[in-house]
Amino acid sequence: MLGIANMIFWIVLIAFIASAGYSIKDINFNAGEPTLGATEDGSLTLTFPLYIDNQGYYGLKAFNITTTVYGDQGNEVTKTSTFVPTIFKGQTTTILHNVTLNIKQLAESNPQLLLNDSNLKARVAAGFDFAKLMPVQLSTNFTFPWGAPFHNLVLEQPQYSVVSRSNVRVIVPLSFENHATFDIAGDVLAGIYDGNGALLTESQTSLSVPAGSAFIGELGFTLPVDAASQIVTEGGHVEVFFSSPLFEYGPMVINLE
Amino acid sequence: MNEQQKAKQDRIKDFTYRVVIAVLKAALIYLVYYTVAPLILPLAAMVPGVAETIETFIAVYIVLMIIGDLTAGTIYNCFLNAGRVLFVISYLIFSIGDGVISTSYETFSLTIDLTILYVIAAMLSMLGFARTVLQAINFMSERAESGLKP
Repeated sequence: MLGIANMIFWIVLIAFIASAGYSIKDINFNAGEPTLGATEDGSLTLTFPLYIDNQGYYGLKAFNITTTVYGDQGNEVTKTSTFVPTIFKGQTTTILHNVTLNIKQLAESNPQLLLNDSNLKARVAAGFDFAKLMPVQLSTNFTFPWGAPFHNLVLEQPQYSVVSRSNVRVIVPLSFENHATFDIAGDVLAGIYDGNGALLTESQTSLSVPAGSAFIGELGFTLPVDAASQIVTEGGHVEVFFSSPLFEYGPMVINLE
Repeated sequence: MNEQQKAKQDRIKDFTYRVVIAVLKAALIYLVYYTVAPLILPLAAMVPGVAETIETFIAVYIVLMIIGDLTAGTIYNCFLNAGRVLFVISYLIFSIGDGVISTSYETFSLTIDLTILYVIAAMLSMLGFARTVLQAINFMSERAESGLKP
């Protein structure tokens, strides 16, 4: 009797392994085109549609996909998970996996990413319990290009022009290329400081730079003549801040000669 | 002389019977393997070398089973049956290890946790081992009762 019971258990176990192995070929995973969206809280959301067609004999339980994005220094920038409790057999499921990238935090932790193009590393791990008995995990690492929103940012030396007896116009040419996948819309706040660090004047300029395009513009200031002559003789500097709903960056300092 | 011939014929019959049983069982096991192997092909394709390992396992298992059947009715049969079960346990330990199979292909890494199946298979093997021990005890008891040497 013991032998027969043992044999029956073995047959059941082998039948289970065979059917589980066979049914793997009937599970199809497909990924759709990712879409990019921006939210008002300064986040970029990449949405990856995943299509899972489970025509196997067993359901997939606790399906979990996690994407971790690392900065160019190897620090974790974001980690997002999507969980599906059960994908039943014979069911086709579409999962929208959102990877949220907070540009504000990214700019704070990796300010160089605003100025330099880079490659960000990402790790995607998908795990599920196959047939309730076999936890399976599939993971991959890949890099994706990061386009800097202020690539090749240049603040040139100011140009002075007298506009009246008492005032001088100071023009600081500003240029950069928006290599990012999102548009930049915001303000440039700039201030001129004297050699002692005292604020002499400031200006605010709105800019709107679509993704993939270059910006060539200027920052304009009006200074009293004596302040301008003080800068020319004693030196000073310009501080520039960028402010947009997605991120803030600054100050960028250029010394005046 | 006739009794000797009859005893010889009986031994030949008995041996032939054992050979036929062993061949039939071996054929049955191979038939099961032949049927199941294509089914687990998708799983085997993910883990390189697993198909060859299973083939080796089946070959050794069948050889041990045939020898065991040929020695049926002797104490060697009990030893061979126990050896066969221990071989299964050893195979499980060495092939699956801690129950987690990991493999990688290009940039992808696949990890399958077979711990539960592994535990079930190990427990069934232990049950089989207990059975062979009980068989050996039973065999020795019968021999002792009948006054025959094992």
